[in-house]
Amino acid sequence: MLSIKNLSKQFGQVLAINDLDLHVGHGETVALMGPSGCGKSTTIRTINRLIEPDKGSIQFDGVDILQLMPDQLRAMRKKIGFVFQHFNLVDRLTAVENVMLGLVMGGLDKEQAYDKALEAMTKVGLESYHSHKPSEMSGGQQQRVGIARALALNPDLMLWDEPTASLDPILVREVLVVMEELAKYRQSAMLVVTHEISFALRVADRIVLMDKGKVVEEGKPSDVFVKPQSEVGRQYKELIEYQMNTSALTLAGKKIA
Amino acid sequence: MNRFMQKSKTFFSRSILKDTFNRDILTLLIVSIVIGSILASALAMSANAYFSSTLNNLVGDYGEYDLVLQVREEMKDDASAQVQKIINDAFPGGRMKLGPTITGKTNIFVALPHEYKTKQVYETLDKTFGGIPGGASVGVVTEPRLTIRGVPDGAKNMLMDKVMTIDGVGFVFRDGSSIGVILTSLDKTTAVNKQIEELLKEYQIMEISFPVGSEPSNPIRMGEAIASDMKSQLNLDYVENVSIDGQNDDMTHLVSTMMELKRFLSAYASQIVIAPANGAELQKGDVVVFQGQAAQAPIAGNPVDKGNVVVQITGLRPDGAGEGVITQGDTTGLTSNQGFKLEKNVVAAFVGTASYHNPRQELSGALNETTKLVGEIPGFAQDTKKVSDIALNALNNYDSSVSAVEKTVNSIQAASDGIQAATNGLARIDTTSMQYQIANSSRAIGGLMNTMQVVGLVGGDTAGTVTNLGDTQRNLDGLQSNLVALNDVAANARSANSAIDTIVANGSSTVATLKAFDAAGARNSLTSATAKLGQVQQLNVPLITTQLQYLATAAPNLKDEEISHSVQIMDKFIAGQVIPGERIQILTKRNISSDAVAPIVYQQVGHQNVSLYAADLGVIEPNARGELYQILKEVQAILAAMMAIIATILFLALDHSAIMTVIRRRRLVSKVKVTGWRGLLARIAITFTAPERQYGMAIGAVMLTAMFVISGAGIPYLPWLGVPFLGALLGLIVANYAEKISPISAEEVTAGEALGLSFDEVMREIVVPNARPGLLQKLNRRKLKFK
Repeated sequence: MLSIKNLSKQFGQVLAINDLDLHVGHGETVALMGPSGCGKSTTIRTINRLIEPDKGSIQFDGVDILQLMPDQLRAMRKKIGFVFQHFNLVDRLTAVENVMLGLVMGGLDKEQAYDKALEAMTKVGLESYHSHKPSEMSGGQQQRVGIARALALNPDLMLWDEPTASLDPILVREVLVVMEELAKYRQSAMLVVTHEISFALRVADRIVLMDKGKVVEEGKPSDVFVKPQSEVGRQYKELIEYQMNTSALTLAGKKIA
Repeated sequence: MNRFMQKSKTFFSRSILKDTFNRDILTLLIVSIVIGSILASALAMSANAYFSSTLNNLVGDYGEYDLVLQVREEMKDDASAQVQKIINDAFPGGRMKLGPTITGKTNIFVALPHEYKTKQVYETLDKTFGGIPGGASVGVVTEPRLTIRGVPDGAKNMLMDKVMTIDGVGFVFRDGSSIGVILTSLDKTTAVNKQIEELLKEYQIMEISFPVGSEPSNPIRMGEAIASDMKSQLNLDYVENVSIDGQNDDMTHLVSTMMELKRFLSAYASQIVIAPANGAELQKGDVVVFQGQAAQAPIAGNPVDKGNVVVQITGLRPDGAGEGVITQGDTTGLTSNQGFKLEKNVVAAFVGTASYHNPRQELSGALNETTKLVGEIPGFAQDTKKVSDIALNALNNYDSSVSAVEKTVNSIQAASDGIQAATNGLARIDTTSMQYQIANSSRAIGGLMNTMQVVGLVGGDTAGTVTNLGDTQRNLDGLQSNLVALNDVAANARSANSAIDTIVANGSSTVATLKAFDAAGARNSLTSATAKLGQVQQLNVPLITTQLQYLATAAPNLKDEEISHSVQIMDKFIAGQVIPGERIQILTKRNISSDAVAPIVYQQVGHQNVSLYAADLGVIEPNARGELYQILKEVQAILAAMMAIIATILFLALDHSAIMTVIRRRRLVSKVKVTGWRGLLARIAITFTAPERQYGMAIGAVMLTAMFVISGAGIPYLPWLGVPFLGALLGLIVANYAEKISPISAEEVTAGEALGLSFDEVMREIVVPNARPGLLQKLNRRKLKFK
């Protein structure tokens, strides 16, 4: 489905992606993880050429995305849903209009687009918020609108760029619930950039660890986090162990959970 | 070129013909230009209408009136009544309007009937309206008209005659120091203006300026002399001395006469020369006081006495001596030559001794002597005639006298021959040897006598013999004496012969000389001289004497102080006239340079202390109303320009800044940042090469230039080529601040791109609706899918 080879991107003196190889299969959920600044977001943005890479190739369903002409690229982007860290909703539009935007611009008439949008919003539990403006919604709700916007296009590949990073912990959950639901009943592949280890453990078919612009380790979550081969993997393992040890919370010296 | 054309064609077909955002931008640009131009034009026209209306209220509609009289406000009623009366009397059919009062002056407008719009009427307006109370001044506001100014008075007639022949000129008149040209119609203005300009270019004025103190005594005559020399020496077709106003002959002659009178008086003013005392120094303008008829010599610290002679220094000699004229008293009153300086109207120190030269006294003396001489003329002529008659008589006998002399000389010659023949024998006698022989014989006879006497004593009768011998001896002695006499006679004969030869030779020479003398010519001359002497005798000597006496009395009988004051008064008069004493103006064609004229000027002036330069014959100036309208047009253009600039800035900021921001974002995403000196160079280069800045400059240049062209905007001193540059500059500035002026949400744009929206869709659905409210938003609304 998605095959990235020898991908590189440099910003000034900083090498954000360094000769990266990555593969996502049909229907596969891949969690792209790694420390901040390791090039995860840059990588995911190069896939639909929101950022132009310096070199390499990105094959999607056998088509080299980097060779596409603008019209072809736009058509390709409709097949790749993108959920942003900061939601990236159009403030002037209502929630449903935000979802409809891609549909209408894709050539669907407004009524059909509305129906599809409402359907997508129902999937994320926001059907009753269809006429709300983003400014009238919470961060979690906004992100769910963003997810609905991506889902509405019925994409073959969903790219998630740290969808919960901008949310407070309580709101993170409602988004993760939606994401897990989508992952369960998905028909599309998902490449998720996340720091949510539990989400990755529960949902991802495969985890890819990046460090300094490179893939340093990849594999099944149990393999990567139980028998890490890389320093980043070891750090994640330690983190998991730490979180497991502290999962029984205490309050004033008394165990409460 | 073909590639460029192909690209342009592709861009046009893809971006303009199709419903793209580029076409939106083009539409926006066109609408912006139209709106901006309309706004600029409307503002400019409103301002123009307002000011024109104000102007028309002040000075009437264009061409409605011909004259404007300004009178003092308090006299406007009397003045208007008087003006109406003049119109009724002199310009029947004319009308009058009382105009606004500005700064205490009320304007009265007068419209003249067409038949009174003539040169004669216009040039006598001052006289016609001279009696208007309230100090009226008359101005001509007839339209359409042109005004030529700066034309020397002396050249005005020539120029007016030539301008009058131009098609479209109604008439030409003198309007103060300018020439007014009234046109037959407004549409002739440009053509007439052009022809007058060509006429003015055909001629030039050679102006000769004299520094103070070097002015010619009579610039009119000197100008004529220079013009004459220019014509002859430079072989010029057209040269005219225009230092004077040919129109005003009487005044010219009066001033010329005044100049001559000044020169005449100055020539007879006493010339005082003051040799400075040791340590004293004289300056031009100093005043020196002499005792004069005062009772005592000037005393330091005292004011000038009425009897004092006062001299003003008018020039300095190289040796420091001062030359001056008497401003009080007269040279006849100079009793002492000791001069004291006058400082602050009181006598100061001794400054020098004076000597003077009084031309009036010298003239008087010369006339007296001449009178005496004339009195002697009749007697002298009579005596001379007598002598002449005698000489003539002598000349009449000249030929016969010469013949007589010739005959005498011939006779002498003949006598000389006779004498010579007669004396030749004598001359050849050797009387000396004969005398010697006779002396010897005498001595022998004497001895014989002695002997005979002795014999007689001895007894012999020798007495008779002795007596005979004695007689013989006496005869011999007598013969000897005769021989001596004969010898003298021979010598005298030779001498006489020689003398006669000399006489004859001289006589022959004299005769030859006498014969060579042109007695007839001498006679004729003498006859003529005699006749003239006769005429001299006929002279009316008493009349001459009387006239000489009259002349003596007619010479300036003025004191020096009176001459000085008169010259000063004449100077004031001359200076107030149209003939400036320090300037000569020569009118010529353009084909001669001042360098070529300079030698002629220097020769005539006698020195090189003059300024010589060539000037235009004159310049055309728009009339006051025309100037006002011109200013209004400039104001209109400036207002339109200001409006166009404001509109351009607004359109750039409100509509195009969002587009520039998007272009900038796209550039920043696609470009790789560089650091160090490359970064510095990149930043400098990107000032003009960054696409958003190029866009801003292009839009600004096109928009402003189009608005300028359509609305007729203009900025003084800004050439047309500068307008697109100004527009580009505005665009560059807005591009630099585009992101601050019109920030856009990069996240929304990215989301749109991620959703597969095209650039056009992103712009229309995301960027423009979120941009600053402006024309683009309005135009974009019809393209919005989500309104």
